[in-house]
Amino acid sequence: MNWLFPLYLAGAAAILAPILLHLRRRPPQERVEFSSLLFLDAHTPVPVSKRRLENWLLLMLRCLALILLALMFARPFLRSESTTTASADRATLILIDRSASMRRDDLWKRAIAEAKRTAQSAKITDRVALAVFDQKLTPLWSFEQDRTAAPSRGAEISTRLAAETPSWSATLLDRALIDAIALFGSSTTSLQKHILLITDLQEGTHLDSLRSIAWPSDLRLQVLRLDPATADNFSLALAASEQDGSKEALIRLRLSNTRDSALRDFKIAWQNAPKADAIAAQIPPGASRIFTAPPNATQATTLVLSGDKNDFDNRVFIAPPQPRAVRIHFLGDDTTRQEAASPLYYLARALQPTATLAPELTASLSLPVQNPDILFISGRTPAVETHTRLSDFLQQGGFLIHVVTSPDDEVFLQTLTGNKDLTITEDRSDDYRMLAEVNTRHPLLKPFADPKLRDFTKIRFWKHRVIQGLKASSSLETLATFDNGHPAIISTRIGKGTLIVLASGWHPGDSQLALSTKFVPLLYGWLAAAGFSHDPAATLLVGDSLPLDAAQAHMVIDPEGKSHSLKAGESFITTQIGLHQVQTGARHQIIAVNLPPDEGRVLPLDPQKLADYGIKLASAAETASAPSAAEQQRLSAIETEQRQHAWWWILVILLAVLLLETALAGRSRHSAVAQSA
Amino acid sequence: MNTATTFLNPAALMRIKSLELRAKVVVEGLWKGMHRSPYHGFSVEFSEYRAYVQGDDPRYIDWKVLARSDRTFIKKFEDETNLRCQLVIDHSKSMGYGSQGFTKADYAATLAATLASFLMKQGDAAGLTTFAEGIEEHLPPRNRPGHLRRIITELERPAKATGTSLSVSISQLADLLRRRGMICLITDLLAPIEHLEKQLALLSAMGHDLVLFHVMDRAEIDFTFEKSAHFRDAESGKERFIDPQAARETYLKRLQTHRDHIQQSCDRHRVEYHWCPTDKPLEEVLFQFLSVRQHKKAAKSSARRAA
Repeated sequence: MNWLFPLYLAGAAAILAPILLHLRRRPPQERVEFSSLLFLDAHTPVPVSKRRLENWLLLMLRCLALILLALMFARPFLRSESTTTASADRATLILIDRSASMRRDDLWKRAIAEAKRTAQSAKITDRVALAVFDQKLTPLWSFEQDRTAAPSRGAEISTRLAAETPSWSATLLDRALIDAIALFGSSTTSLQKHILLITDLQEGTHLDSLRSIAWPSDLRLQVLRLDPATADNFSLALAASEQDGSKEALIRLRLSNTRDSALRDFKIAWQNAPKADAIAAQIPPGASRIFTAPPNATQATTLVLSGDKNDFDNRVFIAPPQPRAVRIHFLGDDTTRQEAASPLYYLARALQPTATLAPELTASLSLPVQNPDILFISGRTPAVETHTRLSDFLQQGGFLIHVVTSPDDEVFLQTLTGNKDLTITEDRSDDYRMLAEVNTRHPLLKPFADPKLRDFTKIRFWKHRVIQGLKASSSLETLATFDNGHPAIISTRIGKGTLIVLASGWHPGDSQLALSTKFVPLLYGWLAAAGFSHDPAATLLVGDSLPLDAAQAHMVIDPEGKSHSLKAGESFITTQIGLHQVQTGARHQIIAVNLPPDEGRVLPLDPQKLADYGIKLASAAETASAPSAAEQQRLSAIETEQRQHAWWWILVILLAVLLLETALAGRSRHSAVAQSA
Repeated sequence: MNTATTFLNPAALMRIKSLELRAKVVVEGLWKGMHRSPYHGFSVEFSEYRAYVQGDDPRYIDWKVLARSDRTFIKKFEDETNLRCQLVIDHSKSMGYGSQGFTKADYAATLAATLASFLMKQGDAAGLTTFAEGIEEHLPPRNRPGHLRRIITELERPAKATGTSLSVSISQLADLLRRRGMICLITDLLAPIEHLEKQLALLSAMGHDLVLFHVMDRAEIDFTFEKSAHFRDAESGKERFIDPQAARETYLKRLQTHRDHIQQSCDRHRVEYHWCPTDKPLEEVLFQFLSVRQHKKAAKSSARRAA
């Protein structure tokens, strides 16, 4: 047991007072009125003091209360093993923020200078580690390395820091701090653990995950906030871009101004665009506005904001529209393209180019030399000699949509599916048919996953063919059936490819499908299933991984022009803003990556805010450099005492004792009064 | 007989502020109780049952006897209007002591008021004398409307004197009471016994019918004090340091001797002695008093018949 203020223990001597008071016995002062002293003789009054202690229980409680009071003031604490052996040596982790906001002014230079100064001022027995963080923590110099190479620490750290530059990432301080806790390994157990955080601690710093952890009680965080000359800043971010169908995408931008900013005037323009196309306006401090981007006459890819000093968050990259070519072949007569009764007529009108897709529909009676991406067959049974080629087409990953129009197709389908039981007959009934069961959960019918779009009752099928013998082949799936129970759409995977078989065509001779609202979504759903997604590219931020097809190898060229070749299954996490070029086989894609919008919120936070998340911040006394050994010990004693709070428990016991004493005294007094009455 | 349950607790009775009301409560209670109780005939005035003859007032027919025996009897009452009762109350300071929320003086006053009320209700004359160092007030026995009120007013007056001089008072009283009658002496008798015997002998010799109500507080009887203290004599004002635990035994022994002496003196001079601790219900005291009177009367009348 140790004491913070042992002098107060002398106060325990005060127990003499109650002992003396209890020893001293007052001569009875009471006067009792009695009717007559006729039968009573006088007695000699008892002496003033006597050796016998009265009310020893009460006395004990009073003495205990005084002792507890003295103990409480002396502030006891137990020096545990670790604190006893804890030396004055420190284990300091220098954690430098290298997020994009550190690009402002000379913040990065100052951060490096501070880190070097701290590393050099550390004693040889201290341990120093170095790490930088933005979205993730990157250790540069570990405690383990420091233990083996402490004398060369200064030079090593300088070298490592010189190689670092601020990144374009967001500031995920929460994740960095959580990871930093793990860096204090076994080599630092007996040392005073300390993190020196060098950061601009801007508003956009992420702190939320800190709520999910318990901060180690022996770890202190010292925040060294670097403030730039001015925090006034405009920041530009992409709010939304609509690319529905049109090549001229409507781009919306969010522009924010910092609170209490002196800046007002700004200008947004496409890079290298004529001055007339720029937006020049004003924005008040603290405001945030959505603007539509100016017309992009020069097909530029970068929007530039000007008007503030800090350049890092003034650019937004927009990838140019890159509709993807889809080669679609219709096996039939190209001359029917203009005939309203032919299937090709509807196909050609449904497959219109969009911002993301550029379908090229060809039609011929024979297969083209180069295999198309998607092949439609309707109204014509392929000749037997083409069966092998079509089968190969499917095996290699082709996408074949075949409309059964006559029982002659039976052999073709038997060949493709390998199911010899498959039979096709013409439905003879006079009545029309409707779709009864549609498996909307199937990937090929994904556009109808939304219950609002599942109404197929307006489509009537005048004619259809009855496909039978499906049960024998488990690979054939029925996507939809008619109301007489016959399959309407079936599909199967053949090799790498997909075969879709329709029992009725979409042209008006067979059904109303082509005229219904379901036709276009159905086609684009199949396009998506074939790997030609119609969805616009998601807006990417630094730190996101590029949306790459895991099945293929890619070549990525980053904005700096460095190329990275990726094997199938590898991902590419973006670290820079700008346009990334992705080469996948013959396909060339440009992907824009922008700065995380939070980085633009540059107003500095109060370091005390970190304390709200349960982090133990280093006090002013602790941050003072090189305290004396005695002072160190005293500080550690204060710290231990504050952690243990033993005085608080003593106070609770003291109150309990006082309560007991009051109750006891009250009771004895009460009985005394009752007696005298 | 379990008196505790049938009679009113004195502490409860004393809570009634008005002495007159208090007396009324006791007397009414006893009166009603007597008519309902099996002690029906033990009244001061009850004489005998007599067969009903034509011309008798049917009000006096005992209906219960009629119900029991199918015979009409008349309840006869003895006329006792010649009884003159002088209530002599000790008004000394020692009577002002009480440990149960009321003093011996309160108890004595209530007892006196009860007796006076009871006696006057049955047509006897009652008077009041208060004494301390000498006679303080004297109301001769009368049975007039308003006399009870005067007695009660007198009883309500607080005691002024400090000491007791029973001998002086009784000799003065003997001078005042020339006609024979009943004297009810209500006192705590906290005085040396020698004088008392002489005075009792004097009064008895004068032909008075003497009844002594010895009022004492429970604390005086049991001496239940625990803590040592300076005990002050209420009458003389003297203080003595007393350790009750040490003194109790002697005290109780001396008190018993004192009571024994009183008892002997009373027996010797045919004084009717009633022991009245202040926690004894007044109805009980009154009832005892009445029953003793009844016995005496019966003894007297049998003696007369024998003669």
